[in-house]
Amino acid sequence: MSRTAAAAAEPSAYVSRRPEWLRLLLRPFSGDAAFPWLAPLIVMLLLFTIYPLIYNIWLSFHEYAPFRRQLEFVGLDNWRTLWQDTRFWGSLGVTFTYFFFVLTVQLVLGMAIALLLDSDEPGFGLLRALLTLTLVIPPAITGMMFLLMQDSEFGVITYILESVGLLDGTQPILSTGSTALIGVMLADIWQWTPFMVLIFLAGLRSLPPEPFEAAMLDGASPFQIFRRITLPLMSKVIAVAVLIRGIDVFRMFDYVFVMTSGGPGTSTYVLSLYAWQQTFSFVKWGYGATISLVSLAIILIVANLFIKLAKVRW
Amino acid sequence: MATVEYRNIAKTYGAFEVMHDLNLSIADGEFAVLLGASGCGKTTLLRMTAGLETVTAGDLLIDDRRVNDVPPRDRDIAMVFQNYALYPTMTVAENISFSLEIRSVPKAERRRRAEEAAALVGLTEHLNRYPRELSGGQRQRVAMARAMVRDAKVFLFDEPLSNLDAKLRAQMRFEIRQLHDRLGTTTIYVTHDQIEAMTMADKIVLMRGGEIEQVGTPDELYDRPVSRFAADFIGSPAMNFVEGTIEANGNAPAFVAEGMHLALSTSISALPGRRVVCGLRPADLVLDTDGSVEGHLVLAEKTGPDLQLHMTVGGQDFIATAPRDANVQSGDRVRLTVAPEKLHLFDPDNGQRL
Repeated sequence: MSRTAAAAAEPSAYVSRRPEWLRLLLRPFSGDAAFPWLAPLIVMLLLFTIYPLIYNIWLSFHEYAPFRRQLEFVGLDNWRTLWQDTRFWGSLGVTFTYFFFVLTVQLVLGMAIALLLDSDEPGFGLLRALLTLTLVIPPAITGMMFLLMQDSEFGVITYILESVGLLDGTQPILSTGSTALIGVMLADIWQWTPFMVLIFLAGLRSLPPEPFEAAMLDGASPFQIFRRITLPLMSKVIAVAVLIRGIDVFRMFDYVFVMTSGGPGTSTYVLSLYAWQQTFSFVKWGYGATISLVSLAIILIVANLFIKLAKVRW
Repeated sequence: MATVEYRNIAKTYGAFEVMHDLNLSIADGEFAVLLGASGCGKTTLLRMTAGLETVTAGDLLIDDRRVNDVPPRDRDIAMVFQNYALYPTMTVAENISFSLEIRSVPKAERRRRAEEAAALVGLTEHLNRYPRELSGGQRQRVAMARAMVRDAKVFLFDEPLSNLDAKLRAQMRFEIRQLHDRLGTTTIYVTHDQIEAMTMADKIVLMRGGEIEQVGTPDELYDRPVSRFAADFIGSPAMNFVEGTIEANGNAPAFVAEGMHLALSTSISALPGRRVVCGLRPADLVLDTDGSVEGHLVLAEKTGPDLQLHMTVGGQDFIATAPRDANVQSGDRVRLTVAPEKLHLFDPDNGQRL
């Protein structure tokens, strides 16, 4: 008896228990209007993405005048300078070289290691878990590690390469124009290939086993199965991994900053380092903003082209 | 086309033995059905035949050649999987002709044979579609066409119809059997559905707990089940089992239990006074006012063509079938009779046929 009475009283008691201010606050969310739910995200986007972007564009038409201590409108000057700046074009070339080489090696090596680790035998779970280790190291620290390992006096990589006769001891890896970029790439490849492996492994291990068994019975060799079954089934996963990694690689900064500072000469001067140098060393805020805008535009164009071509669906 | 022979086959997973000393031979061109409940080892046996599982001990022979260590791709076997296992990124035509592509058959020839196979299973319209655009039944046909295009020595089917609806299942049953009759390829077909086994098989291999319970034609399994298990597995609705004793009145032995007194054919060798289990198929029971089985009718269920009589006989559930126009009602006391040669007697302890 008392239980039914309590149940009947429940709804009204529930409403009245809520304080007035809370009811007013929650009222917009009680209907089916979309805006109240979207508002927090819109505010964040405006504050942290749209506003900085617009400010950056605005900045590219201005330049800081150190003596007058103010930003002054310079029209298209920054863009004209950029067009004629050989150091800008040089760094763009370095960035693309780095981008294609690192991405290709990480993709191929990542897939190869993922295929090797895709096994249910005991111990492989541990191996897969160990892969995450390189990912938790700050890139700047990795840069330091590789700087030391490639030291011409006591670096272990230098020592090994000299032992097998690939280096003759007269040309330190990171201070020689022809090898410095490769030296930086080594750090990136070592640190981020496991990331590719992890994504590929997640993809490989979620594939259904039956098409592979069917292909075996159809007479396909392991290589044919990889080319005709595994790769097509993995294409979306590969595309996403390449996209994420590609954007990262394109705006790489830490390794060159720590290991070579862009040198020797300009042989490792990537775009983000050049933008950083113009902005903070030379206090050319407008020009730095212009370079970073170009970098953004390239990433957007390349990434969207890639999404189109690889038919990635989000 | 080929023979398949299993000699003393054993299979263990770690310390767990799922199959022990299994012997079976399947003749050239035969349609053999491996029948059994889930976990009985029928799929394991099929996958060992395909080479997808290793054989722990014994010899597996295809066309008199030992293939234990031959990889799947060199066994010349085609298999249709339960969930079809189509290549998702290939069109129907590419799916069907993939095995030919592997064998470097010229493109035109590939296309021609794929079209032929597709025509056989009624897929001509869909050659350029992807598996995801097809219905379950159509996917099943692609899987069959993919197997057929091969001219393989042996066809393996792993519960191919279990994902289809009842109507389509009946149709595909017929089509698979027809296909076999046309191609004449040795076929091993795994199922847990006794109707599929009864309708399609030349030879049924009934399995239980990793061992073969009975091998025979569908008629042999239906008419002379070797054990209570086999009798129970085949036939729908399932056989009724009643425990009772044999009584001998001179030359006329009879099976006696509560609510029934059934004359036995004189060929029964069981001793008088012995306790036995008697099996009666619902379809063998006939309504008869002079019948010697007396029961209480709980429910007369209309199935369309006939009535299913749910009864209690001597306190035990009992099912019989009757013509649809039978004049019976729930709550009636009914009498049934059964021909002596339709009785199946089993040992109550080990379940073996007497």
